[in-house]
Amino acid sequence: MKNRFIVNPDLCTGCRTCELACSFTHAIEGLRGQTRIYPLDGGFKDLWIPVVCLQCDDAACVKSCLVDALRRNSETGAIDLNQEVCVKCMACVAACPFGCSVVDQQHKLVVKCDLCGGDPACAHFCPTKALKWNPIEPQTRKVAV
Amino acid sequence: MVNLTINGKVVQAEEGEVLLSVIRREKIDVPALCHHEAVEAFGACRLCVVEITRQEWDGWCDYVTSCLYPASDGLIVNTHAAKVNDLRKTIVDLFLARHPKCPEIIELAAEYGVYSTTYQTVVDGDNCILCGLCTRICDRMGFHAISTVGRGHGKEVSPPLHKAPPDCTGCLACAQNCPTSFIEYSAAKGFLTIWDKKFELLKCSGCGKETITKVFAEHLCQERKIPFEYFQICDECHRKQLAATMGEITSWDREAAS
Ligand code: SF4
Ligand code: SF4
Ligand code: FES
Repeated sequence: MKNRFIVNPDLCTGCRTCELACSFTHAIEGLRGQTRIYPLDGGFKDLWIPVVCLQCDDAACVKSCLVDALRRNSETGAIDLNQEVCVKCMACVAACPFGCSVVDQQHKLVVKCDLCGGDPACAHFCPTKALKWNPIEPQTRKVAV
Repeated sequence: MVNLTINGKVVQAEEGEVLLSVIRREKIDVPALCHHEAVEAFGACRLCVVEITRQEWDGWCDYVTSCLYPASDGLIVNTHAAKVNDLRKTIVDLFLARHPKCPEIIELAAEYGVYSTTYQTVVDGDNCILCGLCTRICDRMGFHAISTVGRGHGKEVSPPLHKAPPDCTGCLACAQNCPTSFIEYSAAKGFLTIWDKKFELLKCSGCGKETITKVFAEHLCQERKIPFEYFQICDECHRKQLAATMGEITSWDREAAS
């Protein structure tokens, strides 16, 4: 893992550019895909929250998948959903406590954020830098044990 | 890693990887009805047939089901040789005779130029091609609720004793992956019915949307140690909940900063 995905809701203006970027990036044969990122207003004034998969350590989606279609990608750090293996049982959609495994109605698929394979389009397009794909700095300072 | 040739192009594959996986990775369209990566290959539909040869075979060829045949060094594969197309044509022709009303078969047959079967049509032929994908997937899910029963003409997919299967959880994996959409199910008024078994559907406590069956959720909680609360609201309400929590935290930060 060389980069870390950072969400800073304080900078989000709710313009939904990330949603478009995501949807276009995950198009199949020219048909736009379901977005994997959702800028939502959390019920607070002038405040938008880009809700996206947290790629949890002990992920409920991975646990819920009885056919092992969901696996951590050690290169990107994302939990990838292997479409060839998925049997569309909806277990992960129901199990994710953050609602980040979703159904792509148009393509009849279950989808989730894959960090675009290591180059997240949403972070590229976010005009206010509320979404960032930052390199992880090598640890320089000594940590006291 | 081994090198083989597919339709004139040299490609790499893992030793022992089945040809169909390599062919799909190369984005070559080969029909395959009974194949699914979640389960072991079975070779039931025979549609994935390809022509193989080797330099040392002196022009001799073999015809194999690519979903079962392992890749090896120096193999030369042709997915659309004239003979292969002929073989596939015969297979779809036979399928069309057996399942004359099946939309997926009719479409596939048309792709191979077969618009009416040259064999005798089975008038009351149903749409189940007996590929066993549903039973293999159900087994893979760990439920073993259905299987093929009977032999020859009487062979069919069924729960034990043709009764509502006790082990079925209503996960729908069988129906979602049936290549000919033969497995019927219906959902109405909070209940799902499949294989004549009626299941209560979980209802989102936020918006009322129906999600998976209660039995399936309970199975996941038990087998995979997932808290049952996770299943009480739908994905959309979960996202709203996360936004509300993160919103609250961000608003504290803002207050602290101002
Ligand atoms: S929907 Fe697909 S990825 Fe999700 S749990 Fe079922 S098989 Fe696994
Ligand atoms: S719905 Fe029932 S029969 Fe079908 S795969 Fe799930 S458990 Fe098996
Ligand atoms: S996919 Fe190979 S025989 Fe059906």
